[in-house]
Amino acid sequence: MDTDLLVRDYLARLDAAAASLPVHRRAELSAEMRDHIEAALTEAGRSDEVTVRNILERLGSPEEIVAGEPQSTPSPSAAVASGSKWGGLEIASLLLIGLAWPALFLPFGLFLWLGMGVAGVVLTWASGRWSTRRKLITTVVVVALYGALFVVTYPAYRTEGPAGSPIVTSY
Amino acid sequence: MRRMVGGETRDPLTELRRGVLEHCVLAVVRQKESYAFEIVRALSDAGGLVTSEGTIYPLLSRLRRDGLVQTTWRESESGPPRRYYQLTSEGQQALDSFVGDWTRFRDAVNAVLAA
Repeated sequence: MDTDLLVRDYLARLDAAAASLPVHRRAELSAEMRDHIEAALTEAGRSDEVTVRNILERLGSPEEIVAGEPQSTPSPSAAVASGSKWGGLEIASLLLIGLAWPALFLPFGLFLWLGMGVAGVVLTWASGRWSTRRKLITTVVVVALYGALFVVTYPAYRTEGPAGSPIVTSY
Repeated sequence: MRRMVGGETRDPLTELRRGVLEHCVLAVVRQKESYAFEIVRALSDAGGLVTSEGTIYPLLSRLRRDGLVQTTWRESESGPPRRYYQLTSEGQQALDSFVGDWTRFRDAVNAVLAA
């Protein structure tokens, strides 16, 4: 059997098992395994099928390796260990971000809207379950929505005065 | 002896190894700065410490993240540049404190087992 194929197959399994890891760590782990296999082959001085199979065997299964990554090990915050992306913090943050919009129609709605939005984003970043990528996307979406409302209502507010915009119905 | 924890079978030695291994990594890099493959070899050669060599890599990543080791990339004579691991002062402290804990733990277990 082609030994390159054995290694490629192993790395593909690793990549699949590492799908939940942050992108940079996934790539780094893959490179570390490649370097390890390379170094082990140099050490062995051979690269026949038996040698390659033994090297991969000693490395252990890709699933076992990925299970040792910080994200998937039980850590002091037991919440992370459950593996779910939704804990109290994440739900509270989305509730705040979502409810900020109906809150516009309450007394002091503008302040509630801004305050709840900011609090929601802050909670998002405090999350131990979400990846940085997920947090960034949430932040960008929230900022874009808030920006859009400002852009849409600001000219109306200027020309029509307080009665014309949803922001102002709150006063 | 095996027992069930959370629905999966776990070997008590596997649990013990996991906690001890990261301090063994610190001890290896204290002796001399090393690249990952050297660290893995040093631990494998000690016998019984490492069952799957690949699991050392997530551990190294965690030690980097926690600032117990720092790394420097260096050119190698054969092949691509290598990342060398060095102990930081935090790593040194963690290791010193572990050595004390481990010695007491080992003595206590030995005393009970020998009784």
